Amino acid sequence: MAVDRQAEEQKLIELMIAYQKGDMDAFGGLHEALKRPLIRYLWTFVRNQTVAEDLLQETFLQLHRARQTYTPPRPVRPWIYAITRHVALMHLRTMRRRKEMLPDENLPEIPVPPEMDQLADRATVQRLLGTLPRAAQEVLILHHLLGLSFEEVGQIMGIAPGTAKVRSHRALKKIREHLAEEGA
Amino acid sequence: MSLDNIPSGLREAIEKDHRAVRPLHPAWMRAMVAAAILAVVLAFVLANASLRADIDTLPMWLSWGCSALQVVLGVFLLSLALREAVPGNGIPLGTVRLAAATALGVQILVGIATSIFSPAIVMPGSGMAPGIGCLKHEAMMALPTFAVTLLLIFRALPLRAPTAGLLGGAGATVASDGVIHLLCPMANLSHVLVWHTGAVILFMGLGWVIGALWERLRW
Repeated sequence: MAVDRQAEEQKLIELMIAYQKGDMDAFGGLHEALKRPLIRYLWTFVRNQTVAEDLLQETFLQLHRARQTYTPPRPVRPWIYAITRHVALMHLRTMRRRKEMLPDENLPEIPVPPEMDQLADRATVQRLLGTLPRAAQEVLILHHLLGLSFEEVGQIMGIAPGTAKVRSHRALKKIREHLAEEGA
Repeated sequence: MSLDNIPSGLREAIEKDHRAVRPLHPAWMRAMVAAAILAVVLAFVLANASLRADIDTLPMWLSWGCSALQVVLGVFLLSLALREAVPGNGIPLGTVRLAAATALGVQILVGIATSIFSPAIVMPGSGMAPGIGCLKHEAMMALPTFAVTLLLIFRALPLRAPTAGLLGGAGATVASDGVIHLLCPMANLSHVLVWHTGAVILFMGLGWVIGALWERLRW
């Protein structure tokens, strides 16, 4: 698993270096490798498939405009996820200014990290995940679902790795407490 | 790898601006560019201005020692600002707070120590004129480094531009204050706290506001 992740990261680094050198196919490779996890991450913010797909395009546009800011051989994912996060936050800020809200029926399923899938049935875990503050959801998704280390989560969110770990621990604890209360 | 799966709008936008780019240098190397500007300005000022009259009454660690400490701290803050400007390389907020507090704290402590070792007002001020003079000099010395740092910050992609601007402002003024400390003839604490610490706070605020404006325009 760790070897897979390392190989995957190495592949991303190679694609990113080729892309910086002007290889358009490498951009295609990055898009292909990252679109699914990025859509999942964007869901955490917007909870709407169409908006998440629009934001994914905006993310890749921003990534293209800022491609010189990636410094090889640093890991690619923290760099890309940080840009993605910012695109989502700017979108939310614009929505707040315009006082636009998505109707409830547009709320899609929140992706459930595998660790939590075993805690209860999927619908319950999804409901409880939805009650957590966004920052806690973000840490859980980034670490448990997308497989990023706490150090990488910290780099993406601009927090210390220890803070990311504490947030994840508290979020899991809260979900377990809710489940225990509901079971009682 | 095929580009067919990329939405056409995105593909066209990328193809329009498709060229090789050179990756940014690491933050510490870019900080050296700002530090070089800083060094030129500070050397020019030191060569052309006379040192404070009470320089001989101050211990070495308090005169040149604290001066060097402030310059080093300033350059460190500049490198933090430039690091903050790279996505995925952001500094934890606690560290930003600590850096800003250290910038102000060191400046205030140097002022207090100086007022203890040289409690007399060497050049009695009349009203606000000496203070405004110090503020002007400090601003003029900090401005070139501040401008270059902001340019380097905005050439990257700061995701918290106000924070990067604040750190840049703090770095440029703390380093400049290191030299002003050797020149300003006023040793009374109120002067240092109002005008010298005020200059640091002013540039931190300025960096924050410019960062916020840039963010609004960019995003």
